[in-house]
Amino acid sequence: MAKEKIVPAPDADSKPFWEACRDHKLKFQKCAACGEVRWPASILCPQCHCRDARWIEASGRGIIHTFVVYHQVFNPAFKDQIPYVVAVVELEEGPRLLTNIVDSPPESLSCDLPVEVVWDDISEEFSLPKFRPLPG
Amino acid sequence: MLDAGICNYVAISYGHSGLWGGGMRQLLFNTRPSEACFGHFGAVGRYALAAQRGMHEFSSGPETWKHIAMGQRKWANLNPAAIMHAKPMSEADYHGAPLVVEPFRLFDSCQMNDGGRAIIVTSAERARDLKHRPVLIMGMGQHNPSNEIAQARYLAGPTGAHKAGRAAFAMAGIGLDDVDACQIYDCFTYTVEITMQEYGFFGRGEGENWFQGGTIEPGGTMPVNTSGGQLSEAYFMGLTPIAEAVMQLMGRCGPRQLGPETRTREPQVILCSDNGGALQSHSCLIFGRG
Ligand SMILES: [Zn+2]
Repeated sequence: MAKEKIVPAPDADSKPFWEACRDHKLKFQKCAACGEVRWPASILCPQCHCRDARWIEASGRGIIHTFVVYHQVFNPAFKDQIPYVVAVVELEEGPRLLTNIVDSPPESLSCDLPVEVVWDDISEEFSLPKFRPLPG
Repeated sequence: MLDAGICNYVAISYGHSGLWGGGMRQLLFNTRPSEACFGHFGAVGRYALAAQRGMHEFSSGPETWKHIAMGQRKWANLNPAAIMHAKPMSEADYHGAPLVVEPFRLFDSCQMNDGGRAIIVTSAERARDLKHRPVLIMGMGQHNPSNEIAQARYLAGPTGAHKAGRAAFAMAGIGLDDVDACQIYDCFTYTVEITMQEYGFFGRGEGENWFQGGTIEPGGTMPVNTSGGQLSEAYFMGLTPIAEAVMQLMGRCGPRQLGPETRTREPQVILCSDNGGALQSHSCLIFGRG
């Protein structure tokens, strides 16, 4: 029997992000003053401290900034997925997202490789943004 | 507090039951839901992310790290208190160890252990009347670039070690050439490489060259982590490096003592580092023989 999936725990700041994910949309806050697109979500801009921001939809494209391959089971929920890839993806809009790279053997990956978002519906309530290398 | 006369002696202690207590396991397996839902847990994965970026940007990697793991193990083999004292490590041992979170293999990682360390700080004047030769704090520096690992822009440098090192050297009024040995916070092999690179011991990407040929080992020109360090002696946070620096400068290290016994320079100055998070905070300390 599969172990229960670990799900995100949205807080007041990140709730809009995870709600958008459920609709398979990647949304981030964009600062009204300096234009910084930020993640993690927060009440003020880490660059200029402006409190005013609006949520924009990201393209879902980016590059692998860095990645690792888990070869040991750190948590039983991931026992059947070993080896799996955890990565930091830098999106075109600027923010970096901790995520997984899927649909591709780990040895084919490299830093700065272009990727696009794919959605993993892990429960009724949550869809996780994961990434795969862009074709070609 | 010492200067103001509020106290005469300060004990700085650290201890943990890493093998069965909660603290170390928390560091290794902690489950922030925003990371855990992607299967990302604790310190090994975070430092491995940094190391992979280092491999990409300046050709860091196992060919450099093996010299660090094996060099420190040689020091541990001289230290009866080291957990790995009786276990030599060959190149085949290093490369043959299981992958934990790639690019890290088992021996790229520090140990989980029980135990503790303590140091006593007092004024230089009082220290001169005590049993052991005093050790002076010559310089210190801190720099904390902070940020979550996923947002960090400095995984392959410049890390906090860059500014912290410069501040510590400025305060001490000395340069790299005056350093006789280093005790570098070594939660992972990559941490030793990036820290020493940021301090300026070698240029970006020149680590593989610099570490090879026994540079940091007994008999080497720049001994590093002479107790075996966290990789091969035991992990006590920042007190593994500091306690060893102080013991070496006091001349209390027995078979691993820097000087004629280990075919190294008799130490006048030892550089120490500590860092927190995944390279998110950094302290540099320079100690001198009193
Ligand atoms: Zn702003």
